[in-house]
Amino acid sequence: MSTVRRRLVPYFLMGPGLVWLILFFVVPLYFMGRLALESGTLATGFEFTWEFANFTDSFDRFDEQFVRSFVYAGVATVIALLIAYPLAYAIAFRGGRWKNALLLAVVAPFFTTYLIRTIAWTTILSDDSVIVDVLKAVGLLGDEGRLLATPTAVIAGLVYNFLPFMVLPIYSSLERIDVRLIEAAKDLYASARVAFWKVTLPLSMPGVVAGTLLTFIPAAGDYVNAFFLGSINQSMIGNRIQSLYLMELDYPTAAALSFILMAAILAVVVVYIRFAGAEALMGDEGEQRA
Amino acid sequence: MTEREAGPMKGFKKLLFGVAMLIAALVVAACGSEGGIEGGKDEGEVPVAKAEGEPSGTVKIANWPFYIDRKTVPEFERETGIKVQYVEEVNDNNDFLAKVQPQLQRGESGGRDIMIVTDWMANRMRELGYLQDFDEEAIAPAKANLVPQLASPAFDPERKFSLPWQSGMTGLVVNKAKAPDVTSINDLFDPKYKGRVEMLNEMRDTVPLVMMADGVRPEDATEEDWMNTIEKIREAAESGQIRKFTGNDYTRDLANGDAVAVIGWSGDAVQLQADNPDIQFVMPDEGCTLWSDNMVIPVGAPNPTAAYAWMNYVYDPENQAQIADYNYYFTPVKGTKEVLERMGSDAAKSELVFPTEEYTANCSTQDEPPGGPEVVRKVEQAWQDVITGA
Repeated sequence: MSTVRRRLVPYFLMGPGLVWLILFFVVPLYFMGRLALESGTLATGFEFTWEFANFTDSFDRFDEQFVRSFVYAGVATVIALLIAYPLAYAIAFRGGRWKNALLLAVVAPFFTTYLIRTIAWTTILSDDSVIVDVLKAVGLLGDEGRLLATPTAVIAGLVYNFLPFMVLPIYSSLERIDVRLIEAAKDLYASARVAFWKVTLPLSMPGVVAGTLLTFIPAAGDYVNAFFLGSINQSMIGNRIQSLYLMELDYPTAAALSFILMAAILAVVVVYIRFAGAEALMGDEGEQRA
Repeated sequence: MTEREAGPMKGFKKLLFGVAMLIAALVVAACGSEGGIEGGKDEGEVPVAKAEGEPSGTVKIANWPFYIDRKTVPEFERETGIKVQYVEEVNDNNDFLAKVQPQLQRGESGGRDIMIVTDWMANRMRELGYLQDFDEEAIAPAKANLVPQLASPAFDPERKFSLPWQSGMTGLVVNKAKAPDVTSINDLFDPKYKGRVEMLNEMRDTVPLVMMADGVRPEDATEEDWMNTIEKIREAAESGQIRKFTGNDYTRDLANGDAVAVIGWSGDAVQLQADNPDIQFVMPDEGCTLWSDNMVIPVGAPNPTAAYAWMNYVYDPENQAQIADYNYYFTPVKGTKEVLERMGSDAAKSELVFPTEEYTANCSTQDEPPGGPEVVRKVEQAWQDVITGA
């Protein structure tokens, strides 16, 4: 192979991905950026006027939904992690020949579409449901209490819907751990607990970081759960973008709000990765390059 | 390819490649931007959708779901030889406008010959220059059968560009077993029903009704009346009195028992009743709002001739009876009641399909907030803030 060709090969390999990224990310991003700086109404037509006020106005108007989105997404991510880690651990180390069946069980509900699953929860949690009756009977819910149209329902929906995105990365990084390392720790008189904290957990961090990102990012922008399981007092930023775009037909504000959401998520992710360490996300390779 | 390539050449190439890609992206973007989102009305004459010769070919109709029985379309096809492409793509007026607006702006209808939209949206589309007037001669048979109550709405007094598909009433839909004493819109604000009442997210359905309950007639309402009513609804929503703002999905909440009394549509109540006899449409003490979903012909409609054939067909009472018997909305076609009686259908006896003048005496036709597009936009924004909790 000639050197020229050798040099070109990586670009050819990147080609399909780059084309995809440009067509479906860069180009739409450009349009959205342009739209976010337009002013006017549907009736009079929109005009490009460098309307930066769209950004400041929309943030002032919707700060409550922003805060709520990030709180809900954060709480949902933590709960999902607390559920997913032991689950992934059990499957990876204790699953034995049932491993594949257990993984399938984690993924199986997701053969049904997202929307149908969320709507199903409205029936399960409805005011006259068995769950609500039981919670009332044991005193966890007051007589007038309900589950549907509360923050609990919305966060539970987020946890449920994004759980596999947490379980699978954690599982795959736990699965890759060489058990001889844990045995070595024990040979060196580490208790099971110390071995877990010093060996297993650090080695599974790439999975944890990937899992939390894959849960947090879509959860922060989600509007389906808040729409079906919440009321207006639980509306998230995604609900606002949706209604601005489809109901009010205020495209510039909707675009500006989407940009602010992207920037906010990016900021959270950058801080988080700094804190967690890039090597945690990329594993050994990240460490070597750093 | 295990070892990494090093040296300045690589960095330069990478840069070159990046720049090339960026330029390509901008070129693509610039070419595309001509078709960007722009509104604005064309001044001048409204075009007339002329009928030419014998109707033939295909007619494409965009309607709301659950609005037609299964037999009407195939029977029309057999009788006229026109092929029908019947698409249930309208779920919400604003949503639908957002979807078709880029095409209509270019003077294309996306192949649609007839679209069905609510009164105020028909008005707005006309103002945006997206609709054609009817060919009076071609549509005369249908218009002759239009019931007088619907013949001259404020937005189109001569029915020049809109013809009702079905009409309906917005009022109370109540589970009589759980909320037997709800008869007025004001009862929805009763703390007894806290968290178990719902209202429609269509502003023009909900706000006028609440306004009427406060003694303001929507016909005389000022911008301030609209704003005050919206504020009242906001307080009720934030306190948790109103559980949700819904579209058609209130039917699920009523059936589940999550809601006991809602603002809803007459036709839905009948369909819900089939499953649960306790659920009924209640004419509010203050009256109801009346509306129509109208057939309109968009600019660029490829086959208006066939569109008129369809309109005339569904305005024949014999054919209309079949549709009315299915959807139980207020039928706009004269003589339908007689046909339904002959068929022995219960629809003939329903006050919802054939409301008497006394039954609808206090009802008002749906209207926009007064004061032109700027005010409408302001009021609409305030409303959206309420129903999405901003």
